[in-house]
Amino acid sequence: MNDDAVDTSNSDDSTDFGFTRVDRAAKAGLVREVFDSVASRYDLMNDLMSGGIHRLWKRFTIELSAARAGQTVLDLAGGTGDLAAKFSRLVGPEGRVILADINAAMLEVGRDRLIDTGATGNINVVQADAQSLPFEDGSIDCITIAFGLRNVTDKAMALRSMLRVLRPGGRLLVLEFSKPTSPLLAKIYDQYSFQVLPAMGKLIAQDADSYRYLAESIRQHPDQETLLGLMEEAGFANVSYHNMTGGIVAVHRGFKA
Amino acid sequence: MTQHDPALLSAALYGAERALNGAILLTPTSHHALEELSGTLIGVEVTSLQLTLYLALAPGPELRLLSHCEEKPATFVRGSVEDFAALIASDDPAATLINGGIELQGSSASLIRLQQVISQMDIDWEAPLVERLGDVAGHQLAESLRSLFRWGEGARKSLQRQLSEYLLEEGRLTPPKLELEHFFEGVQTLSMQVERAQFKVEKLLAKAAARRDRQ
Repeated sequence: MNDDAVDTSNSDDSTDFGFTRVDRAAKAGLVREVFDSVASRYDLMNDLMSGGIHRLWKRFTIELSAARAGQTVLDLAGGTGDLAAKFSRLVGPEGRVILADINAAMLEVGRDRLIDTGATGNINVVQADAQSLPFEDGSIDCITIAFGLRNVTDKAMALRSMLRVLRPGGRLLVLEFSKPTSPLLAKIYDQYSFQVLPAMGKLIAQDADSYRYLAESIRQHPDQETLLGLMEEAGFANVSYHNMTGGIVAVHRGFKA
Repeated sequence: MTQHDPALLSAALYGAERALNGAILLTPTSHHALEELSGTLIGVEVTSLQLTLYLALAPGPELRLLSHCEEKPATFVRGSVEDFAALIASDDPAATLINGGIELQGSSASLIRLQQVISQMDIDWEAPLVERLGDVAGHQLAESLRSLFRWGEGARKSLQRQLSEYLLEEGRLTPPKLELEHFFEGVQTLSMQVERAQFKVEKLLAKAAARRDRQ
């Protein structure tokens, strides 16, 4: 893991965008361009890139959420809405799911898909920046952010914003790519990320650069222990994590005291 | 106690859940009984696999298999793979629960009822076959499958009966069921008598030790 990975300080005006340093103010726009480009084929590419395993990672994340009828769940960076659709069933008609994403193109794909599957009655779609969430303090029971935190410019600010909107006892679940625990798996994974993944992006989405950014942003993201520390620093209590698929992905869980 | 990779476990549970829900969908006769069990949560710890999972019944009816659950299940069972296999295959689940190696915490009623519903499931293959192949071909294939299953079931029962007869009557390799049950009852009575005798001896020894201390 690169030391620059934990770039959440405000001391520098630049931040990482994949392996490139860019102006902090410009990162959100650059990330938006990437997701504008991949939005229409995002789920297909996720299935191809992970061999469908991302559905299993998300399934375990939903189990850890312990969401139940009547609760309010915020699915941040929820993009194409696959988690929101599942939460919609769990919280029932008396509960509420908020599908939020900073990217309008991803939200549009998500909203269309939710309408197509009939999962709409208790779902609100909101375009929102994770760093300054437009919700009341203590109004959410559970927040999930799946494969979204690494694209946020100021992760510490985003985590503090999430803590603010959570109810006491509420929980945050961060599902994100992380650091493989085995050196051999790490090598294989590196080859796959920088050789196979951009080639697949080029073939299927005609966009190798966006998928190269996705691979680079994964490497720049904090590893398991660093993210755990960031969550604790933001004020989350009882923070823990579960490694999945040899640490390629980890799900962190923290509670608002 | 689950120490498996959550993704691997999720894959296994997802597959099993899909298969079970597919079977439920094809057995409309079981829906009413399963709806009655809706809201039931059963915890299962398979000691030999170091695996804990939860079985939740939701309206629909729908069966969910979870590797993580924060609710306290009304029923929690612990045992080896062999113990659970015996329970699933049992004609008398209550007796298997009492006499088998399964450790039970909480209520056994929902577990026994669920086992009965699952064991009585009679899958209707005709509906999905007709949907895919059309009325004529689907019905014919379903009839053939039904005949095949009937023949298979008959063959299994016949083989079981003949094997049992051979082992009991001709080979004289195993004792008759009643004789075996009588023997087990005898062993159980002896075990209880030994336990009681041991308790009495321990009590007498404790008394003797106390008397010695007083002297």
